[in-house]
Amino acid sequence: MAHPQIAVFARLADGQAERLRAIEGQNTMLGRTMHGIDYDEIHDEIVVPQQFGQAILIFGGAAKGEARPIRVIQGSKTMLTALDRLAVDAPNNEIYVPEGDRVFVFDSRASGNVAPKRVLGGPDTGFTAAGSVAIDHTRNLIVVGADTRSADGRGLPMLAIFDRTAEGDVKPRRVITGEKSRLNDTGNMRIYPEGGLIFVTQQTGYVGVWSIDDNGAIPPRFTVGGPGGIIQKPRGLDLDPKHNAVIVSDKGLNALLTYEMPQLFRTTTDQASRR
Amino acid sequence: MTAVGHRWGAWARGLVGAVAGATLMLTQGHPDAAGGLLPHGRLVRMDPLPRDTGMCIWPAAVQWAERASERQSRRRALPTLGDETKVLAGPPTRKVQDKYPGFAAIAVDPERNEVILTDENLFQVLVYDRLENTPSNAEISTPKRTLAGDNTLIEFESGVHVDVKTGDIFAPNNDTVDTLVVFGHGTQADTAPKRALHTPHGTFGIAMDDARNEMFLTTQHDSTVVVFRKEADKDEAPLRLLQGDDTGLADPHGIAIDPAKEVFYVANYGSSGLRRADQEIRTGVPGSGKGRDKANWPLGREYAVPGSGSHAGPSISVHRLSAKGNDRPLRLIKGPKTQLNWPTGLAFDPVRRELFVANDMGPSILVFDADAVGDVAPKRVLKGPKTKLANPTSVAVDPKNQELWVANFGGHSATVYPIAASGNTPPLRTIRGAPESAPSLMIGNPGALTYDSKRDQILVPN
Repeated sequence: MAHPQIAVFARLADGQAERLRAIEGQNTMLGRTMHGIDYDEIHDEIVVPQQFGQAILIFGGAAKGEARPIRVIQGSKTMLTALDRLAVDAPNNEIYVPEGDRVFVFDSRASGNVAPKRVLGGPDTGFTAAGSVAIDHTRNLIVVGADTRSADGRGLPMLAIFDRTAEGDVKPRRVITGEKSRLNDTGNMRIYPEGGLIFVTQQTGYVGVWSIDDNGAIPPRFTVGGPGGIIQKPRGLDLDPKHNAVIVSDKGLNALLTYEMPQLFRTTTDQASRR
Repeated sequence: MTAVGHRWGAWARGLVGAVAGATLMLTQGHPDAAGGLLPHGRLVRMDPLPRDTGMCIWPAAVQWAERASERQSRRRALPTLGDETKVLAGPPTRKVQDKYPGFAAIAVDPERNEVILTDENLFQVLVYDRLENTPSNAEISTPKRTLAGDNTLIEFESGVHVDVKTGDIFAPNNDTVDTLVVFGHGTQADTAPKRALHTPHGTFGIAMDDARNEMFLTTQHDSTVVVFRKEADKDEAPLRLLQGDDTGLADPHGIAIDPAKEVFYVANYGSSGLRRADQEIRTGVPGSGKGRDKANWPLGREYAVPGSGSHAGPSISVHRLSAKGNDRPLRLIKGPKTQLNWPTGLAFDPVRRELFVANDMGPSILVFDADAVGDVAPKRVLKGPKTKLANPTSVAVDPKNQELWVANFGGHSATVYPIAASGNTPPLRTIRGAPESAPSLMIGNPGALTYDSKRDQILVPN
């Protein structure tokens, strides 16, 4: 990718919209492969991975141009290898970084060469190739998007649901996986706690929506944007519940897509449950 | 043992370790051990896989998917969903998208009077007449030829090279396809390339050593230069690999060759981590693509030393054409006087003996003497509002016509200047791919986003 920026658009931007601002340039320390980003609304901070430099960069919420990160988590104690995505738990001052067969949890107020405050991983967790994490503050849970561990290397995509503070080699509370789950990717995820819904980008061209209470080979309760819609390669994802919006970035279209879906944001797990 | 000998010893031990590690992984059925020998991947569905396998699927799956993709379309079959799923497949309420090309790389063919541009936004390679100059009252210029479509394998083509003898166009892919495509002169539309070389993940820049018939490519993720035969095709392995702690390579982008001095230049953004062949690999961490069983293939991210990453700042590193292994650069151009700020594209003028740098965030074109070293100011800087430079990411030299070409990723344009231009010089001609007033979004390969609920804003990284 020729230009590794963080571009900022207005919520109601549409079409050939101008960037309101962009974070870009050498001082930002940004690089490509920013497959995750999260906004900390309590501390008004932007948190993004820097894969090549094995770092977590934290910017002020209004950062623009060649702003320097206000904090950088980087160094030998971090254990970071090739961080790809991350998630911020603002109320609990934590940053989750899924990496391979582990999930690292850092103090979000930390800076420099710091060790993770907890590590989730091990055979009992049942996961490898952890690629994403989402946090449910209402139920005090986290969802890890990963692959199932498999001796033959044919792991299946899975959503593993753990207690939020789970640490070490512990079993998940529930797992959504299996061919019937129709999970084909565990891309960027977000949780809508009020509705108990997990939103997950799917490579087959939609956002799949599962209940946080689902367990086993359960298909998505809803899909957004497809299949058969205009979405090609959904990757980025966030929710704006105030405006009933699911916002998706699509690397096949090089576009941002906003779906206003009031029916989803009125949906609770009970209402969504199948007959 | 000399320092050089010591480095070579370490490198050789690393390679032995890599081979031994691979053997161990295979015998243990390690999930990342496919190496092209075992069937791996997520065999959970019968849907065709997309060619988009580079960034977001793990190594074993990358290899499996690559094999699958050779016989399958890039278009993915729609999944079967039952009655339990309520499908909400309607159109989006809003769609932010740049409908015009984002010119990422440029090459000039003075023999055929053509300019070749890659477009990372709409996934095209466009060929314009060299003397094209978009009139101020015209919306855009129309290319002579366009290459685009599934058969071309064109997506994020970050570099481009034209062979002035044959007119062949070479275009490496930076992501999603991991394949360098070669088209014969005159090819257009949705035509398959004449050659399609599988390249390491994150390949960015390209330069050709015609005297030795060798093709040099930079790879970002693993901070390497890989050297192939110029005519390499399909699964051919590189001839040489330059990778290691001492190379000075760090998120390398553009590359250019000085044939007289037998050196090559690399533009580095500066971020990198260490690799060790004997490193215990992190299971499930993405690797360097599908070539781990090949000689001279980069050590991927799974071999990264945890917590070894650093940001060393931007530089131009200068290497012998024969450099390989962990060879040190001959010299570095680096420091505040250089004005380097995301140096992206490079071109070398063998007549004037000057190195041209497309300095993305200048926005500027920096010109260094071929022998520049250290913290040195450019001998010329092309910069200013009259230049119409906008996030320049690629530069090309036309020695025959004494012109300098620039691809402006942030301006939907290519601009051309006298080769000795400096300061706030307006372009001689401009090829516009969009109306002048159209904002340039520069969204490319957007793998994530977040919503700022305080400001009601959407943040999207490339």
